[in-house]
Amino acid sequence: MNEGSVGERQADAMQVVMIGLGEEKFALDASLVREIIDPVPVTKVAGARAFVPSVINVRGNVIPLADLRIRFGMPQLDDSADTRIVVIELELDGEPVLVGVTADKVYEVTEISQTDVQQTPRVGMHWKPEFIRFIAKWREEFVIVPNMERILN
Amino acid sequence: MSAMDPTEVFRQEASELFEVLEGALLDLGQRPDDRELVDSAFRALHTIKGSGAMFGFDKVASFTHEFETAFDRVRKGEIKPTQELISVALAAKDYIRALIEDPQSTDDIIGEAILDDLKRFVSADQPVAAVAEIAEAPPLAPAGSKQAGWHLYLEFETHILRNGSNPLDLLEDLCKLGPCFVVPVTDGIPFLDEMEPEDCYLKWDVKLHAACDKDAIDDVFMFVQDEMKLTLQPLEHVEAPAPAPLFQLLDEELAPVVEMPAPVVEAAAAPVAEQPVAKAEPKSESKPEPKLEAKRDDRGIATVRVQAERLDELMDRVGELVIAQARLTQLAASGSDLSIKMIAEEIERLASSLRDTTMGARMVPIGSLFGRFRRLIHDLSRDLSKPVEFVTSGEDTELDKTMIECLADPLVHLIRNAIDHGIEDTATRAANGKTEQGRIELAAVHSGAQVLVTVKDNGGGLNTARIRAKAEEQGLIATGAVLTDHEVHQFLFHPGFSTAQTISALSGRGVGMDVVKRTIENMRGSIDLSTRPGQGTTVTLRLPLTLAIIEGLLIRVGEGRYIIPLSAVEECIELTAEDERSRGRNFLNVRGNLVPFLRLREIMTASGTPDRHQKTIIISTGETHVGLVADQIIGNHQTVIKSLSKLHSDVTTFSGATILGDGTAALILDVAQLVALAQSKVEKQHISEAA
Repeated sequence: MNEGSVGERQADAMQVVMIGLGEEKFALDASLVREIIDPVPVTKVAGARAFVPSVINVRGNVIPLADLRIRFGMPQLDDSADTRIVVIELELDGEPVLVGVTADKVYEVTEISQTDVQQTPRVGMHWKPEFIRFIAKWREEFVIVPNMERILN
Repeated sequence: MSAMDPTEVFRQEASELFEVLEGALLDLGQRPDDRELVDSAFRALHTIKGSGAMFGFDKVASFTHEFETAFDRVRKGEIKPTQELISVALAAKDYIRALIEDPQSTDDIIGEAILDDLKRFVSADQPVAAVAEIAEAPPLAPAGSKQAGWHLYLEFETHILRNGSNPLDLLEDLCKLGPCFVVPVTDGIPFLDEMEPEDCYLKWDVKLHAACDKDAIDDVFMFVQDEMKLTLQPLEHVEAPAPAPLFQLLDEELAPVVEMPAPVVEAAAAPVAEQPVAKAEPKSESKPEPKLEAKRDDRGIATVRVQAERLDELMDRVGELVIAQARLTQLAASGSDLSIKMIAEEIERLASSLRDTTMGARMVPIGSLFGRFRRLIHDLSRDLSKPVEFVTSGEDTELDKTMIECLADPLVHLIRNAIDHGIEDTATRAANGKTEQGRIELAAVHSGAQVLVTVKDNGGGLNTARIRAKAEEQGLIATGAVLTDHEVHQFLFHPGFSTAQTISALSGRGVGMDVVKRTIENMRGSIDLSTRPGQGTTVTLRLPLTLAIIEGLLIRVGEGRYIIPLSAVEECIELTAEDERSRGRNFLNVRGNLVPFLRLREIMTASGTPDRHQKTIIISTGETHVGLVADQIIGNHQTVIKSLSKLHSDVTTFSGATILGDGTAALILDVAQLVALAQSKVEKQHISEAA
């Protein structure tokens, strides 16, 4: 996406794509996001790890479809009219990898300020702290900025 | 792409030239009298020198120059290329390669040592090389004579202009060395109706009034040296008689006019080095020798250098096109519009021919790979003192370029094994009534949609008893288990398995064969061993033609669809009620043979109820057959292979994925893995039955 625009703004601002998983809101770093597509038929990969249960065809590329809900121990909802697949590009072991991430809802592309950043509290969290980069405040709500590299490794 | 690093271009070019050079040198070891080989080695050297200098690899240029000089006597036919000389020349080649590829790792001392060796061999039969050089110097220039310049006679080959060289530019460069007096020689110009507008008929007679040395002049003509005759004579104060009356005439007439403005510098000594004897005295009548012309006229097949990544990209696009075309065909078949159907058929035809052409463009003859092994064998047979004759065939067999790259390492292992373990030492061979010289054959041949690459030696063959003993010792088989020889030989592919009693520098560490097997299987190929005691071993690699697109069999298991590579499919049969009943045993009776089978529904954890009539697809790797039980066989499918991402690298059941006509992804079954899985199940069953 438009990486240049990130640099032009103040250093403490961060462009994110706000997605909803179950009851929670997650903010994905917009520079990772390649595209957002409607759900497509998935192909189950027998024997794969639970958080990457399937592959999908995105424009002629077969890419893995990750389910963050499994990683965060959240219930899986059936696809609804709001369900989308967010295609992100990550570096895994030095190689760029395209990964689809299922989102129950995609809200908007927005900016969060790093001054709103809160350190991950040690207690009171029911998921692993290493999966979370930080927690930010957005419209009086706490949103989680996940550490995608950790989650997918 | 457009901003390609020029040194990178040079490196690529040089690496091809090194192959030529190495091939020529090795051939020369076999056929020392072949002038063609010497010449082709020299051409390669010369181009390396020239381009090296052009791209600023000064060390390369100067070393190559020395190499060339030292080797020159071979070219002149004064000495025969001996095996020792070839070895030193190969070392020199390696040194130049190192200078180009990794200059830091080299040391001038190595280069000097190589040159010393080279000079020693070259002058071995004639201790004072310098004498020869002086003897060759033209009598016109006795050492120490006062010399004020050069008399040059330039005669270019008529087609020089077509290669983009411009003689006038060269003359201009020459004029930069000092004041020149240039006279064109026009007697070669034919009548107008015989004249080819693109040919160069002019020759030049040049007097260069400058005391530059010969190398400076050679540098000017460096790139056209092979396409011209250059005759050099030192010019003295006292005019030597000009070679042709015409020049003399001109000299006499124009002498006062051409009095040079620059003061004529007197050179202390004539810098005369060796002068190419082959280049004859200038002759005014110089009709191009027709024989030479015919040889140089190589406008055979025009080739274009294309970056490998571009070809990969093209292949990807074609792959996508094939997928899109499959969808179109499916759509057209479901509708009733005849014209759409016709277009779909047309596009299908075009896509498939485009696919074939693109795949063809990626095909590289395997000979480029074979060439590398000649050096390996040459060095190994010297180090192990086992004389080996190396025979290759089928160099023209074409394989996808990525496969060629992947094949290099496995073949190195196999050839090393063949020499080190296969071929016996000279004494043993003699005792067994064999020729002293061992023989290794490397062959490639097309067989249907596969290429067979075989490495064959005429050594002692595999020692089945020893392999068996070793396998028992390592606990891989129970003592006394009944195994066929073929099964015993499979232990060679077991990781960490080695029967060599001593570990040599080359082999015996037990790594190798398992790596070979894995590499070959990763290419969807298979490896097979056959051996005859006392007569040798043959290793056969079966490889698919390409890695990008395969013929597949599309099957359905539950909701999911999967592809089985068609090359592995032996036959499809229906699972009978009788087979169905023998639930605990999982064996099929195929015409009297017991074949273990796997239920894909279990492996794929398919939901829902199985179809009434289950189908079995018999697949094979080598001699092992395994049945795969599926719900439905859908049919043939042109499978464009997409690799699975890193996130799925832990899943071994699948070797890749593809995209079906309706746009969904389907997984490609990894046949070798499934066979291994079935076999381990069988073994478990054996053990539990035995217990």
